[in-house]
Amino acid sequence: MKNSNVFKILLPLSVLALLSACSGDDGADGLQGPQGQQGEQGPQGAAGQDGADGQDGADGQDGADGAAGQDGVNGNSAVYTVQVTNLTFAQPFSPVAVVMHEPGYTAFVDGEPATVGLEVLAEGGDNQAFIDEARASVDFLDVVSTQGPVLPKTISDTLTLVVPELDADNLRITIATMLINTNDAFTALNAVNISDMEVGEAQTFSAPTWDSGTEANVETAETMPGPAAQALGAGGQAAGFDASRDGGEGVVHFHRGVTTSANADDPSFEGLASSILTEQHRWDNPSMRVTITRTR
Amino acid sequence: MRLRTISASLLFLCSSASALAQTVEIEFTNLMHGQSFTPRLVVAHDETIDTFEAGTEASTALAWLAEAGVIEDEQNPASAGQNFEALLGPESTDNGSNTWRRFGGLLSPSTTVTYQFDTMGKPLLSVLTMLIPTNDAFAGLDAIEIPTEPGVYTYTLNAYDAGTELNDELNSARTDVVEAGTGLALGGYGVPGVAGAPTSIVPLGTGATGVGVQVVNGEIEDGTDGPIHIHRNVLGDTNQSAGASDLNSTVHRWLNPVARLTITVPAS
Repeated sequence: MKNSNVFKILLPLSVLALLSACSGDDGADGLQGPQGQQGEQGPQGAAGQDGADGQDGADGQDGADGAAGQDGVNGNSAVYTVQVTNLTFAQPFSPVAVVMHEPGYTAFVDGEPATVGLEVLAEGGDNQAFIDEARASVDFLDVVSTQGPVLPKTISDTLTLVVPELDADNLRITIATMLINTNDAFTALNAVNISDMEVGEAQTFSAPTWDSGTEANVETAETMPGPAAQALGAGGQAAGFDASRDGGEGVVHFHRGVTTSANADDPSFEGLASSILTEQHRWDNPSMRVTITRTR
Repeated sequence: MRLRTISASLLFLCSSASALAQTVEIEFTNLMHGQSFTPRLVVAHDETIDTFEAGTEASTALAWLAEAGVIEDEQNPASAGQNFEALLGPESTDNGSNTWRRFGGLLSPSTTVTYQFDTMGKPLLSVLTMLIPTNDAFAGLDAIEIPTEPGVYTYTLNAYDAGTELNDELNSARTDVVEAGTGLALGGYGVPGVAGAPTSIVPLGTGATGVGVQVVNGEIEDGTDGPIHIHRNVLGDTNQSAGASDLNSTVHRWLNPVARLTITVPAS
């Protein structure tokens, strides 16, 4: 590690932050350090080479110092970026809520009724109540939302979340967004474990589609907020959330897909003639892809 | 700039990736009922190669694979300069950024094949194969890290829509419909219609009016519906001589995942 002196001269903080990218290696180097120093005390040439290991160990210690130096700038923080890909053909995502939290908080449980926050999100696409519920949890750490919808077949802007570094070793992420040409379908990551990510490490997750169970899947313009309904002069927020849960399935479960009006005249009669959706609004899982990168 | 250089070298120091050649066993299973796979493109590569990315437009090479099952010149000379062979370099060769194989033959529904594949030490693996009969559906494994520890590793592949052709679901053997504007017959790359009709486990219908796009006066548009996304599935119908689709809704549909791939890293 001849570079060690260079590190100390050039932009020490940034470089040391980079050093922490190899935290596993740092740890190993640090352990080797004392051995190396013992080597230096030895009289033999071979022992002297061990001494070089000892210098590596010193690098590891510098890394720890660097992390401490960041206190003055931004606190002891771990920083993550999140990007969401809408994998569907014709289901825009409502503004995507991204929550980081400690274990203990769950936005929903399969087979149990949805919270009102999830109901509002899944029926109307408004994530504010969902975010407020997350904020109210003692396990809450940070939240961001995309500025607007994430259109089908596109990748969202990069969102940034900051949590205390102490929480990085036991961290969860929850993401939720509505498929807005539906009655109450949403795609989500539900308290997914993203503990112990190293700086520079990226993880990718695929998300299925749930039905919030709070509204009947009648697929009419009056009951869906998305552009399919708006094209018929309905839709929008007014057509979204309805506090009544009459006709809903009652509990959160995997979505069975939209029926649509396709094949309504087919001998199979599998289509739902009263649906305003077409075959284009169908999807298969996964409907969302999420890439999470720890940047600090 | 200095910082970039340092960080790059530092990342290298952090890396424990081996640069040794490595032959792994790849087992590939068609999990569907009514869709077959065209020859499999298996690529070991580094970070500079991205065979496909959901949410971005497909390459011409992917269009050839997803619309016609074509990977290299040998399969169809008309694809020369546009196919994955052109994009990646010669087959079974260390092309620096990648090495790849075409594992040929049709893979029928509910069947499994096994291959020996030398990754030549490349860190990532991508696998692509077309679903037939469809317009432009393909199963994709997107740049997974190739394991190096001995063991058996299992992955599943989802079906994507390349987005390079509208999903008309018209039987390409039909002669009563031609491509709008050109008058070309239905078929594979660059023209409408589902490829692979003869491979179907049941005869395709005729007389359908189109699903993602409709027949107008005996012509069908060859539009696009990209970028790449998860395929919404074929629609099909149960009418062999009319209806929207020439595919059969009780046979040709699928749900993800559509394929399973296992990598066996032998004990060295």
